[in-house]
Amino acid sequence: MGTFIQLVVDGLATGSIYAALALAIVLVNQATGLINFAQGGMAVLSAYIAYVFVQLGLPLILAILFAVVLSFAFGALVERFLVRRFERGDPDTAVVVTIGLLTLVTGICAVLWGYNNLSFPSLFPLTSVEILGAVVSVRSLATAVTIVVIMVLLQLLFLRTKLGLALRAVADNPSSAAFSGLPVGRLLMVGWGLAATLGAIAGVLVAPQLTLTPGMLDTALVYALAAVILGGLNSPIGCVVAASAIGVLENLVAVYIPLIGHDLKIAVPFVLIFVILIIRPQGLFGRKVVVRV
Amino acid sequence: MKMRKKPRAVLGVVAVAAAVALSLSGCRGDSGGQGGGSASSPGITDSAITLGITTPLSGATAGPGKCTVAGVSAYFGAVNAAGGVKFGDGKTRTVNIKSYDDAYDPQKSLANFQQMVSDNVFAATAGLGTPTNRAFRDAAISQKVPQVLVMTGDPLFSDRKQSPWQLGFVPIYQNEGAAFGKLLAKSGAQHKVAILSQNDDYGKGYVAGFKDAIKGASNISVVGEQTYEATDTSVDAQLTQLASSGADVFFNAMSITPLTIAALQKAQQIGWKPSWFLPSNTSSPTAILEPGGGSAYPGIYSVSFAKAPQSPEFAKDPDVVKFLDELKKYGNYPDMPAFPHCMWSYMVGATLEQAFKNMKEPTRDSFMTALRDIKDLKAPLMLEGTSVNTTVDGQPAVSSVVVQKYNGKGYATAQNFG
Amino acid sequence: MDTASATARRRRVRLALAALVAVLLVVAPLILPAFANQTLVRIGVYAVAVLGLNIVMGYTGQVNLGQIFFVGLGAYVTAYGVNHGWNILLVFVAACAIAGVVGLLVALAAARLGGLAIAMVTIALPIVGVPLAKRLSEFTGGSQGISARFTDAPDWSGLANDQWQFYIVLVVTAGAFLLARSLVRGKYGRAFAAVRENEAVAASMGISPYRTKVLAFTIASIFGGASGFLYLAAVQYTSPETLSFGHSISLLAAMVIGGAGSIAGSLLGGAYYVFVPQLTNAIDPNLTTVSQGAILLAVLFLLPGGLVSLPRAVRRLTRRAAPRRSTAQTAPGTSPQTAPAHRPVPDAAPEGHEQTERQDGP
Repeated sequence: MGTFIQLVVDGLATGSIYAALALAIVLVNQATGLINFAQGGMAVLSAYIAYVFVQLGLPLILAILFAVVLSFAFGALVERFLVRRFERGDPDTAVVVTIGLLTLVTGICAVLWGYNNLSFPSLFPLTSVEILGAVVSVRSLATAVTIVVIMVLLQLLFLRTKLGLALRAVADNPSSAAFSGLPVGRLLMVGWGLAATLGAIAGVLVAPQLTLTPGMLDTALVYALAAVILGGLNSPIGCVVAASAIGVLENLVAVYIPLIGHDLKIAVPFVLIFVILIIRPQGLFGRKVVVRV
Repeated sequence: MKMRKKPRAVLGVVAVAAAVALSLSGCRGDSGGQGGGSASSPGITDSAITLGITTPLSGATAGPGKCTVAGVSAYFGAVNAAGGVKFGDGKTRTVNIKSYDDAYDPQKSLANFQQMVSDNVFAATAGLGTPTNRAFRDAAISQKVPQVLVMTGDPLFSDRKQSPWQLGFVPIYQNEGAAFGKLLAKSGAQHKVAILSQNDDYGKGYVAGFKDAIKGASNISVVGEQTYEATDTSVDAQLTQLASSGADVFFNAMSITPLTIAALQKAQQIGWKPSWFLPSNTSSPTAILEPGGGSAYPGIYSVSFAKAPQSPEFAKDPDVVKFLDELKKYGNYPDMPAFPHCMWSYMVGATLEQAFKNMKEPTRDSFMTALRDIKDLKAPLMLEGTSVNTTVDGQPAVSSVVVQKYNGKGYATAQNFG
Repeated sequence: MDTASATARRRRVRLALAALVAVLLVVAPLILPAFANQTLVRIGVYAVAVLGLNIVMGYTGQVNLGQIFFVGLGAYVTAYGVNHGWNILLVFVAACAIAGVVGLLVALAAARLGGLAIAMVTIALPIVGVPLAKRLSEFTGGSQGISARFTDAPDWSGLANDQWQFYIVLVVTAGAFLLARSLVRGKYGRAFAAVRENEAVAASMGISPYRTKVLAFTIASIFGGASGFLYLAAVQYTSPETLSFGHSISLLAAMVIGGAGSIAGSLLGGAYYVFVPQLTNAIDPNLTTVSQGAILLAVLFLLPGGLVSLPRAVRRLTRRAAPRRSTAQTAPGTSPQTAPAHRPVPDAAPEGHEQTERQDGP
């Protein structure tokens, strides 16, 4: 039983890494209708910026704050000057533009800071606590709690605030939104800026464990996409639940079904998605999409 | 529906094709290494010789990949600055290095090899990766282009019958695993071993060597064995499983830095404190053991044949000082090496220089003969007890390793386990 | 000018062009240097893969991020067949057929569930494919990969290896492109486009979206298998890295850069896939990632419709440069001027894309 609980707890910790990125992807999708493949790359760049500030002698919290603010600006600018041109065209082209952005950002990080693993300081101490007989590091616990807080904030933003409503309106139907007097361009920039901020927080939360390299979030991105699709493209709660489920189930399947083992456990989230999508095509928590003919 | 013909698209394609053909055409000469002939081979003139390195310079393995270029460039940069290498045929030549990024993609490494042949490179060397080297091994053999001193522990490259134009540099993975296995078996005490290995030829080779060495040793038993993928985010689940096996020795064949650090941290958190074995490329005291909290464990062992510049005991070593200086000046690598490949490729440079000094003719044949005749070369940065020996069929240039134990600051040679 | 003779004249011009291209392609390997042939061979490999991707994604609008899985599958089947001494034709058929059957099974299951499920299932294919390839090491050689030489030029031909490979790849690639061209110009092409625009409308027109999607996906996977055969002909080695997910993303990018929904664009996409890494290596091997990202973004900025839209864009520029010319001058048959600036390339996705079932949300 001890092993089981440990595996569940570890799975939740890993899942929170995926969830962090997934939340940013959901935000961009809600705000601009695009899937941003570069979300992970931008998060890594933010983490590097925070690293630079730390190296300059700033205390960690301040460095993170500065990086978060700069990320907002960066995200807004990227939307305005890079993505705007492709937003109303072919979605495939827009996705490939984000792929290009990912490549470019990764390349810039590599040129500026190299490919070696840099050690990023942790906001939380490296001690561990015991919960229900399982050992969990304080860092993982704090990361998970932070993610849940962000998730709640995001959910509130979308459903309860005017800004959230405006963002969704702009993504859903830009021309109608413009007619209603919403500043479409500015809202799009805000949406991307917020997503970049989220990504920055995700980046600095996971960098201590994953060590800072340009490709730090490449694997996590795939899991985050899976979590987003599984949980519903428009639901922050959904993607966090999905990400946690993926992390936990992977661990359990790998250990208790040796036939699958640790190498094929990666099939688990996808099988899961498949099964869920048969039952609920819009994802666990997503809203049904109405197609007008 | 938009099904109209597009003659202009065809025109566009023809225009592109014509442009491509024009830009790529030259007279169809005899490019392509018909090496080994009596006249000099491609890539070598009276004043210079050109070597090519195809290695990952981007992507997940770019860290070690950059090191493989930096070390060779550093070595020959210094040698060139001092006038060049005096070859066995009497001429003094500068050594030029051309590097190509293959992003650890076999298709790209083959493309790079074909480009090298077209660029008139004398030999391919120092590339990192098993699939990337295997991808163009056949082509190198059929075009008689040397593919030597490559950074892979795959035994195929050192088998002379199967790979007449190849030679590995680093010890085959089996050797490293076996070195630790021998030490453990010789200890006499009862030990239970848990194994965590990377799920590819690297991990499998380590484990195979280790198991071979402990075969028949009744005091050693393997009580748990797990694998992980190089792309995994965490190995917590595997550690939980292995910890419950009650092993007191943990044989670890991991090549991913963050996972190794996380494993070191996690194991002590869940209260499992075995003795560890780490492979040579993930055992750095500053990059891995300190962040991981290695001093919490009764012993951390590794194998090596290269002096580690980060270790305090080598800080003043003249070899190391010269190496770091040349790395910064000629290798375009100003930081402390984060991977041992920087040191290894520096030794590749020294080995190549030795072969150049002994080759009697400016041909690839002569080069291969000279390369395979190096015995007991103490390349710079080599530890006591190791040397370069290329005369043994089936063994790479370096086959001897030394088992070392972490002493809180660096490593010291371990004669016995415990 | 009377349109009937204009049409006939255009047809003759087109035939002449086709003949010229054919002659060029047959003669080219004999005069080009070896490296050029080898590069063109690799372009052919990826052009076929991008073509398959284009059929299911560019023409039918279904997100497919797993095309590289079928390429890898085809390559492994080819390697297995060659190493067991099968007849080369049988190997080719097996590579295409096995990839096609797997694609069919996947599509049968996923197509019912809409765009999201197809996207996820296709992501799963290469991601699960890599550890699977490592696990089934008796067939695949495990993580060390498997070598198979079968494209050495036979003595009777008097050709060099690279020239022989060129002809093999040329035959298969030309066949694939001609097949695809006739496919998209026929009733299936119309069905693909109808499904891409709006599935409900297509269903009401009597086209079954489910069957069309399954068909498109199966064709894409057959082309993927053929591309895998060509891959092994060119590289003569395959390993689990061949089907890694990152390559699927690169194929997608290559498709869009070449021109989505365009046959000629697939060829340009294959060329992009092969050329850009070589080009960035020539610029500076240490800066390949930055260069590749910059090139991709630059191309899409200048030509959002892909490289295949270059002639159109040039024409638009020259037309704008001489606005005094009367509209009567526009020759019959030229594409109607795209009016609003945000409307994407005419034969790519039409506007109003947000209304179809795609992977994006509300």
